[in-house]
Amino acid sequence: MRERQVSRRTVLKSGLTAAAIGPWVLAQSRVAEAGPEEDRIVQAAKKLQPAELNGMIWSLYYRGPMTEQQQEFRNLTGIGVGNIQDIPTPQIIQRAMAEAIARSDKFDFMHLDLTMIPSLASAGLLEPLDDYMEEVGYKLEMVGNAANFMRYQGKTYALPSDGNVFVQLIRKDFFEHPDEQKAFADKYGRPLTWPQTWEEHRQVVEFFHRPEKGLVASGSLRDRTFGGFWFYMYFYSAGGFPFNDDLEPTLNTPAGQYALDLHLNLQPFSHPEAPGWGTTQMIPQHASGHIFSSQYWDGLIALVEGPKSQTRDKWLYGLVPGSEFSGKLRYRSIAIPIVGLVINRHSPRKRQAAFMALYWSTLQNSIDIVGHPEFTFHDPWHPGHFTSPKVKEVYTRAGMDAIKQNLLVAGPSIYLTGYPEFQEALFKHLSEAYTGQLAAKEVLSKTEQAWRETIKNIGKRKLQAELADYKAAFPDIDVPG
Amino acid sequence: MRHGEGGGRNGRGRNDRLRRIPKSALHFPESLTLFRWGVLVPFFALLLFLLPVFLLQIYFSVHSWTVYLTNWWEAQFVGLATFWEVLSDERFLWSLVRSLLFASASTLGCFVVGFALALLMYRPFKGHGFFYTMFILPMLTVPIVIAYTFEMLLYQKGPLNGVLSFLLGTDVHVMWLTNPTMAVCTIILLEIWNWTPFAFILMLASLAALPHEIVEAAQSLGASRWRIFWEIQLPLLRPVILLALVLRFLEAMGEFAKTWGLLQGGPGSATETIPVYLYLTTWSFFRISKGAAMSYIVMLLMIVLVLLAIRILRREKTALDRMYSTPGQLV
Repeated sequence: MRERQVSRRTVLKSGLTAAAIGPWVLAQSRVAEAGPEEDRIVQAAKKLQPAELNGMIWSLYYRGPMTEQQQEFRNLTGIGVGNIQDIPTPQIIQRAMAEAIARSDKFDFMHLDLTMIPSLASAGLLEPLDDYMEEVGYKLEMVGNAANFMRYQGKTYALPSDGNVFVQLIRKDFFEHPDEQKAFADKYGRPLTWPQTWEEHRQVVEFFHRPEKGLVASGSLRDRTFGGFWFYMYFYSAGGFPFNDDLEPTLNTPAGQYALDLHLNLQPFSHPEAPGWGTTQMIPQHASGHIFSSQYWDGLIALVEGPKSQTRDKWLYGLVPGSEFSGKLRYRSIAIPIVGLVINRHSPRKRQAAFMALYWSTLQNSIDIVGHPEFTFHDPWHPGHFTSPKVKEVYTRAGMDAIKQNLLVAGPSIYLTGYPEFQEALFKHLSEAYTGQLAAKEVLSKTEQAWRETIKNIGKRKLQAELADYKAAFPDIDVPG
Repeated sequence: MRHGEGGGRNGRGRNDRLRRIPKSALHFPESLTLFRWGVLVPFFALLLFLLPVFLLQIYFSVHSWTVYLTNWWEAQFVGLATFWEVLSDERFLWSLVRSLLFASASTLGCFVVGFALALLMYRPFKGHGFFYTMFILPMLTVPIVIAYTFEMLLYQKGPLNGVLSFLLGTDVHVMWLTNPTMAVCTIILLEIWNWTPFAFILMLASLAALPHEIVEAAQSLGASRWRIFWEIQLPLLRPVILLALVLRFLEAMGEFAKTWGLLQGGPGSATETIPVYLYLTTWSFFRISKGAAMSYIVMLLMIVLVLLAIRILRREKTALDRMYSTPGQLV
């Protein structure tokens, strides 16, 4: 019997056929997703030229695990981070916009407030990431609807690294003290329980405000730069939304008035220097025991539970208060800013930068970043963070439960092009009213007036087209399970 | 009589006059021309370097450019509409008022303190060098460093209130940074602390340059120190005083680093001066066109102020020249 001879043509034709249908077959059989995320990203990155990436990121974020993972990625693929421009996150948006205007290719990635996505995408700076994610089988998973913060006009533009959601903190040693509980019940005719509404919260802070003993009831900020973040929580929980479908501002409404009253009426129970203090000043007040309660960024948990805190193990964590103002109980926390990585569309190294960003954003790598005991600027955002013993150790079990609950009902700030201008007008008027420079009744009307100017400048039609993305970033539920 | 010969005003011929002039002086007009070009060339080079920036800024100020929508070369021409928008912007007008208030108060403060220190220091004494160095140190400190350092000193329970409490024997809880009125005072005081050395140096040099003979003559005639100061020294110092005030005022109108670093225009909008609002408009709101128009309006305002100041200075100079050109006659 003659042996059948396999010709070169046959081999080549078979190989071409395999190459043509192989990926489809592998995808169907989920072989492509069989390996760890990191390996897939590394394999994809290896096909590219090695590169030294330039990034813009605050040094408080870029340290520890991020730098170590960058080195690993470099060893595996030849792609690493060369130069970093160390700029605080609040200032990066100005620099990013300058890069957008200049169509600069200097920076490959930026780590910034993702509420800027509409503005920067409109200015043509951002590279969509969907194709890269699909190439390596990366699925963006975030708790609640937060993944919609990364999307704009149907495309994904960012990868998160810091969830930054507000949680409620209360001093356990006061709150659970039997004498305090009895005195509260005697005064208010109800037991001292976790405040479900802003009205209950006000009673609690009123009761525990003891400045003569060095205890301030509310540690929430009221300065011009950050103070307005709390207003969003009050407003959204009352059922408010800043614009109607015609993009007419709807701040000067009953919900807006309700939120404004809450914002201003906490002043007697707040720190007298709150109008001038930022987070740098307020955090030590928490750690040193001078604050009874606040709604604050979840990163505070890691700090007050850290070895240098004088109030370690003295805090309760939970859901921020809600409101029944709209007719039903609604909780709304705020995730602001969610900070993450965006890629410069004009960079010749954008593919390499995208894979570097994806590498940092895998579940395992993000656990290392978020769960670092010392470098606590990155806060949980992935569902997998909430089952990780490493992350739980940093934030405590109670803290993690609180973060998850609040992420499920977290809303954004103003997720529209021109967000800095919208937000600044609101925050300035709130700060003016808080310090007595503006009558409370003028805050909302003046803010609406300023917003109309901004809308006129940017364009109503453009902003109307973005409303859907803004609304999509809101949670689907009012009460977390 | 040939042209060029003949009686001049003093009856001498032109040729005679030329014969008396040294040869080197005949080249004077050429060396003067060379000197003039030597000075002007770097100036023109600088102008060429700055001109594109000015031209671009003019372009932005007469076009309406929304950075999110178009490229800058596609911006729509709007003429002077943006200038009108700025001039009718209540927030801009209030920030202008704040800037003028801040600049006036801090300039006056710098001058009064600087002049007082100069009066103490203009006659040499033992340890003069040490005090001189200490007095000029604040001017050598970087403004943003001043902002961050003083932020820590000015907390309600901070060192400054602590020292004041100790000195006054009572609890002092001044809200330097969170009370709107006190915040304005704080910024003014910081500016005075930072820039008094400028006035001090100017006035010290001027006092030292005053002619001693007039003062000695007045002393020998029995004039009191106050009278010598008020009727002799002060009039002679008027031009320099005016120069110091004008220069300091212009600088103070542009103060940004301390205000932004310490207060970011707050609390509320208490310290939102022109530079702060300009920064917000251009780099927070990305309203480049409005920022450009605003810059030009402020620049024109400063030019008007400077021209006014030059006019007053010229008048002072004329008065001084008249005083010195008629010997024996006191003005």
